[in-house]
Amino acid sequence: MGVLNDVARAAKSIVKGHMVTLREIFKPPMTIRYPDEKPEQPKGSRGMPVLKVNAETGELNCTACGLCARSCPPGCIEVIEETDANGKRMRRPLAYNLDMGKCMVCNLCIEACPFDALEMAANFEISVYDPDNLVFNKDQLATIWKNYDAVRIAGGEKL
Amino acid sequence: MPGWLIDFLWVVVKVTLVIAFVGVNFIFMVWLERKLSAKMQARIGPNRVGPHGSLQLIADALKLFSKEDIKPAMADPKVWALAPVVMFAPALLVFYVLPVGPNAVIGTDLNVGLLYLAAVSSFTLVGIFMAGWGSNSKYSLLGAMRAGAALMAYEIPLVLSILTVAMLAGTLSVQGIVQAQVDRGYYFVFPGIVAFIIYFICVMAELGRGPFDLVEAEHELVMGYQTEYSGMRWGIMLMAEYTNQFTAAAIAAMLFLGGWDGPFLPGWLWLVIKAYALVMVMMWVRWTLPRVRIDQLLDLSWKFLLPVSLLNLVVVAIFLV
Repeated sequence: MGVLNDVARAAKSIVKGHMVTLREIFKPPMTIRYPDEKPEQPKGSRGMPVLKVNAETGELNCTACGLCARSCPPGCIEVIEETDANGKRMRRPLAYNLDMGKCMVCNLCIEACPFDALEMAANFEISVYDPDNLVFNKDQLATIWKNYDAVRIAGGEKL
Repeated sequence: MPGWLIDFLWVVVKVTLVIAFVGVNFIFMVWLERKLSAKMQARIGPNRVGPHGSLQLIADALKLFSKEDIKPAMADPKVWALAPVVMFAPALLVFYVLPVGPNAVIGTDLNVGLLYLAAVSSFTLVGIFMAGWGSNSKYSLLGAMRAGAALMAYEIPLVLSILTVAMLAGTLSVQGIVQAQVDRGYYFVFPGIVAFIIYFICVMAELGRGPFDLVEAEHELVMGYQTEYSGMRWGIMLMAEYTNQFTAAAIAAMLFLGGWDGPFLPGWLWLVIKAYALVMVMMWVRWTLPRVRIDQLLDLSWKFLLPVSLLNLVVVAIFLV
């Protein structure tokens, strides 16, 4: 009777296996067709640091204090403060250049910023043909903050 | 027009239709298999060429046509080149006796139709052996030898299960078997469920599919007897494989599921629907079960299927008497 037992066990497990594959047929696929469909990024996912724009004044929050540049381990941030004709410091950046070719997305600049001027955007699609195009100026950084919805997903929380 | 010319033109029309069907069936079945396996694996499958990737195979065939025709230096040129053709021919020959409706058979309603089917479908093995010997490669030869061992082991339970149907119907003609099911109002799958299951397992083993695809087990034999073939020669082998799969399902549909019998739709469509349903079951099995070892393959046939099919034959014979 051992043979019959074996046959029954084999039949049972074969049917069980087929039920698993049958169930899978009716489940939606895991695949995300990436360029057509964007993946849902988790909260706090880091793409690139961007400059926040003040909602009331429409100006950058940045005061060009340079703490972000100083805290940056690879040294990819360059801040130049604006001065008026008399040489008085204007407390806003004349230029703010971020070299994403160097950036290692460590979040230290954001943690160092005392004025809530920087935020991590979830925008990870920054591939370019020319490495020079990886250097973002302050207008580009502000535009990404404004336009890229993923900023809202990743931003807001300092992790 | 003289009578022979009409006959000749009629044959040309039929052959053209069969070959056109084989081509369309090839495209559809490869697409179906890829989509079905993708679904089972939580993937999407081909989705770029044509709606839902349905024309993927045409793109693949174009690629195969543009490939260099590589011939192994030590291969037997004639045998090697003929093997895909010899493998493909029996796949077409099976269509000769397929009944597609009441009083409508593609070729002739042979009175030994079942014998013809069993003989012709085993003929693929000649092509496989030609590919195996002709390639002059150890992988090809081992693959062909395994195919031979599997076919010999599974042919006997297969024929015994077909014999059960012949006994139930009282005829060897395929049209006669379908007609018997229509006349009696029940399909032979109910009295012959054991024979049906045995037929199904044997046919999958003979086709070298599903869990029995160790004829071309890539982890041991690269691609079995297909190792030395590339481009469209390999394409023809693949086409023969899929056509054989369809005809095997169609034969199962005729012997056990009433063939062209069904309400509303025309007979040939019912046959195709039933065949594709069985093809989908075969694909389901293939993408579920892991591959068996060669000794397990032969064990299953000689130690289990053969005694069970003999017993089944005896039981059916006792019931009929």
